[in-house]
Amino acid sequence: MKKLSILFLSFLVIIAAQAQNDFKKQLGDARTAYAAGKLDDSRFAMQQMLYELDMITGKEVLKLLPAKMNEQAAVAKLDNVSGASGFTGVIIHREWGKESKYSDTAANHNIEMEVISNSPMIAAVNGLLSLPLIGNTGDNKVVKIAGYKALVTRVDQGDNKYNYDLQLPLNNSLITLKAPGLTQDQVIKLANTIPVQEIAKMLQ
Amino acid sequence: MRSVKILLLLVCCTPLLSQAQLLKKLKDKANQVAEKIGEKKAEETTGVDNSQNGTNGSSGSTTGSTAGRRNNKGGAGLISTPPDVKENLTTAETSFTSAKYSEARYAIQQAMLGVELEIGQAILKSLPQAINELKYEASADQVTSTGWGWAGLTIYREYNKDDKQLRFSISNNAAWMQAINMYFNNVGYAQNTGGEQKWKQTKLHGLRAVIEYDANSGYKLSVPLGQTSMLIFEGVNFANEQEFMKSAEQIDVEKIRQQLGEK
Repeated sequence: MKKLSILFLSFLVIIAAQAQNDFKKQLGDARTAYAAGKLDDSRFAMQQMLYELDMITGKEVLKLLPAKMNEQAAVAKLDNVSGASGFTGVIIHREWGKESKYSDTAANHNIEMEVISNSPMIAAVNGLLSLPLIGNTGDNKVVKIAGYKALVTRVDQGDNKYNYDLQLPLNNSLITLKAPGLTQDQVIKLANTIPVQEIAKMLQ
Repeated sequence: MRSVKILLLLVCCTPLLSQAQLLKKLKDKANQVAEKIGEKKAEETTGVDNSQNGTNGSSGSTTGSTAGRRNNKGGAGLISTPPDVKENLTTAETSFTSAKYSEARYAIQQAMLGVELEIGQAILKSLPQAINELKYEASADQVTSTGWGWAGLTIYREYNKDDKQLRFSISNNAAWMQAINMYFNNVGYAQNTGGEQKWKQTKLHGLRAVIEYDANSGYKLSVPLGQTSMLIFEGVNFANEQEFMKSAEQIDVEKIRQQLGEK
């Protein structure tokens, strides 16, 4: 197991080094194209740089996240940074629990956290947070996590069972925490172990 | 006996009531005087006569304080300074090396903004100064860019003569393309809508395009260019479709395609 972990860590280091090299290569391309007056080529290289940077930032955010949540270890294999810079946004994904054939957390019972940049949900969540009378009604509750307002939503699972999802807008990113089977208070307690301020600093 | 008691109570309270009324009157008078003094002082400091604002004392004082705000009469405005591309690339490199990723990101965005503005200016320079009798309106030339993201780069130019106008814009963003491709790819959009022809497919310099006509806004020609760019021509008070198309043909689309790096 230990060997496997070392192997996985080495793999991550190699990927990170590769991303850094790619960034530097794109930077060189952008400079050369700009100097030669090939403005569009230069712009394309810069777009690639942004993409590389988002990937690197995503991996750095993953490093900030707790290794354990609710006594469950992070599933390193499921760590993922995907998406594209700009319109669609970058998705940083981590799960705590075990590997499962089910990708849906409601089925695999893993705790899941996602940070999505430029999430289309941000406006809706911010709207609910800014109106406490609406935000605190029905299945929603406004709470504070590390000084940031967040929205806890009760999700009906049938048979009088409920899951609680927590959404926290952070600049133009949205942090979502899902912990199936846990109570609202437990979810809030888990959310408080997320280094929100450090993530905000990384993503600003 | 009971009525005598009530009478006695009323007699005792009357001086108290009249005293309270007197106090209220005094307070109102004092407030009015204070408001007047306040207004006078405000007029002296701002030089604005508030006597015409409002109809009574209280509303007059409210409008007076609003009217006290000075209006801007002039100023040179902001200087348009496109970001320095080389400098921002250097900042991006140093920030990246010292693991300040958010700063590196900001610098790249600024560099991209600088490059996009340069692309826009270069395209505007390459456009004709006149199209037939229409002359270009230098003050209306515009290049807008967010540097990155879905809003993309927008370039705008106007050609005018009297009430005749040709507006030309280039949008370099993928979101627009989906809308126009809907016309090309969806057979459900029949060419003829009702009895009147509102739009149809056409070609400009061999490129597929959509031409529309509206009695209020005139002609509109949308030409997708490559993967992410769109050229839009809008003609107001053109005699007919042929005249509008001939004007649009005077724009060198091929050159724009090269400048935008579209295939």
